[in-house]
Amino acid sequence: MTGVRLENISKQFKDSTALEDVSFAVKDGEFVVILGASGSGKSTILRIIAGLEVQTRGHVYIGDMLVDEYEPRDRNIAMVFQSYALYPHLRVYDNIAFALRVRKVPREDDPDRYRRRTREEIDDRVRRAADLLGIGDTLTKKPAELSGGQRQRVALARAIVRDPELFLLDEPLSNLDAKIRSSARLELKRIHEQLKQTFVFVTHDQSEAMTLADRLVVIDHGHLLQFDTPENVLSRPANQFVASFVGSPEMMFLEGRIRAANGGFAFELDPVRISVRGARAPGPVTVGFRPWDLTVAKTAGPGAFPAVVRGIERLGSSDLLFLELQGSGAPGAPAMSGVTVRAMSRAYEYEVGDSAGVTLAPDRALFFGADGDRLDELEGAPAGP
Amino acid sequence: MMPRRRARKWLRLGRRIASHAVLIVAVVFALFPVYFIVITSFSKIPIAAITAQVLVPKVSQLTLGSYQQALSGQYPAFTSLLENSLIFAGSAAAIGMGLAAFTGFALSKFNFPGRRSLVYFILIISLFPSFLLIIPYYFMFAKLGLIDTYPGLIIPYSAGAVVFAGILVKNYMDSIPDDIEEAALMDGLSRTGAFFRVLLPLCYPVLGLAAFLAFVGPYTDYALAHVFITSSAKETLALNLYNIATTDTGASNYGVVTAFAIVMSLPIVVFYMAFQRYIIGGLTLGAVRG
Ligand SMILES: Nc1ncnc2c1ncn2[C@@H]1O[C@H](COP(=O)(O)OP(=O)(O)OP(=O)(O)O)[C@@H](O)[C@H]1O
Ligand SMILES: [Mg+2]
Repeated sequence: MTGVRLENISKQFKDSTALEDVSFAVKDGEFVVILGASGSGKSTILRIIAGLEVQTRGHVYIGDMLVDEYEPRDRNIAMVFQSYALYPHLRVYDNIAFALRVRKVPREDDPDRYRRRTREEIDDRVRRAADLLGIGDTLTKKPAELSGGQRQRVALARAIVRDPELFLLDEPLSNLDAKIRSSARLELKRIHEQLKQTFVFVTHDQSEAMTLADRLVVIDHGHLLQFDTPENVLSRPANQFVASFVGSPEMMFLEGRIRAANGGFAFELDPVRISVRGARAPGPVTVGFRPWDLTVAKTAGPGAFPAVVRGIERLGSSDLLFLELQGSGAPGAPAMSGVTVRAMSRAYEYEVGDSAGVTLAPDRALFFGADGDRLDELEGAPAGP
Repeated sequence: MMPRRRARKWLRLGRRIASHAVLIVAVVFALFPVYFIVITSFSKIPIAAITAQVLVPKVSQLTLGSYQQALSGQYPAFTSLLENSLIFAGSAAAIGMGLAAFTGFALSKFNFPGRRSLVYFILIISLFPSFLLIIPYYFMFAKLGLIDTYPGLIIPYSAGAVVFAGILVKNYMDSIPDDIEEAALMDGLSRTGAFFRVLLPLCYPVLGLAAFLAFVGPYTDYALAHVFITSSAKETLALNLYNIATTDTGASNYGVVTAFAIVMSLPIVVFYMAFQRYIIGGLTLGAVRG
């Protein structure tokens, strides 16, 4: 049971850069999820931790041990592959028992010498792992005879049976259909709580990441964008990419400008004006917000965008309004006409075609500079611990 | 409505009859020589059945005499011939298959410079008629004192087997996803360990096929054996079959020749049946992905 630390890891393939200066540290017993789009380098990170791939630059530590030169088998890591990679020629029992038969354990009388595990020890562990995952009745089958969900459990059982330092899981739930997927998620969380071991879990599914993670690594095109708790990634995304990638319903963005005002800086998108912490210079800026950050009123008061209701989606508890902004028509104001925003509101008060006023809650809006980074982040602490 | 449906039914039946007819003709075509050899071997008249124009012999016309003669009337003894053939073919199959397993592993799972060219090179060698190698082999092995020895034939037979079997194994290993090997590395094996404990067992089907092919070639070889074997103590079944087919008198005993050929083919049939279970009873790689 130990943590793992990546220090300035870069990985260059023949004709592409998969990772660029990635650093993060996973604490002992933590469940860290690596979230990124396809091809962003998630699997490459896991494979470098596992020793299956050698980094071009940087160092990997497991616990306090520098393991750059270690073979995969000397790192004592269990990995669940995206494809499960079960041994097709072995029965489920032998798949799970495989590592136990291969790896030796220190002798009780002389810890410097090693011995093979006995048949009873192996049997005991295999059955306990199988019970934990509810696959006790498949032990005599070959992998080809199992359903996708069962294979995924076997792959997990094969990992947990070993008592490794660290678990690496590469999208283990992605081959499951939606129904068993959410229950498999809960089960995985339960197993983590039971084992209290360190998990590094890869996914491209942001809701999966949010439910599972103690902390979240967001990567894109080989760059680590943010390493923080799911709550912070949601409410304080490091940049516009993270903001658009996580959270549901999706964040909306409007382009505006920052101008000097009252000794500080304020965001202006006629007729809205919000003072912005963390801004250092005037210039173009993007404001991001989610549907529930907007308030809709029958009339456009001061500071509200005039808008027309273009569509209503009834979701039950709260409904989604599609509002087309009208722009104020004031000289010099950005042309907002035609931009449609979504807002949470009580839809029964409105009909398509009604005019309305939309107000953006100033404390909820997020501002992103021209480079995409969030503006308060410039002053505040850098992302991560 | 009705008539059209009926017409379609007839059409389907007609197609089925036609396809079966074609298949039956093909089977008869393929099996007739075998049948012809079998009835000749059991025939009392020691001439080819076709000359006697007896295609369906009566029971009274059958005898086991040719078999008796084939098994006991020969010099060298049938058992000695069989032993030699099994030594040559068995060794070639074992050595060829063993080396092919490593060759396939290296060509499929290791990245080294020149790998692609090496694969093409081996493919080209395998297209090279082995017949052309007999003369250089002869001079080389004469120098090495390997003429009329067991190694003298086992080496070229095995070498020939490695070439095609290596490619066969490589292609098969290419179909085994890398992450199965990687799973074995994570489970605590070295690459060598992963090869022996995971990849090799997964390759049993193709190795069975490779062994079978590596066995049949030398077992039925005449050309190379004819040049390399000079003493009757090392004579093989294939060599002897040719010898009894061309007796000095010119009057071949077709009954004995065919009986000999049938007995000689039995080990191949047995070998095939033994491995067929492996190949078909198949280890499916479908287990890998959901
Ligand atoms: N062995 C390799 N050789 C060359 N390029 C590679 C190799 N492995 C990965 N890459 C490249 O590195 C980048 C990251 O790949 P990686 O497999 O880590 O992505 P991923 O985030 O796991 O994607 P996915 O969600 O599709 O699994 C990709 O652009 C990929 O093409
Ligand atoms: Mg991946």
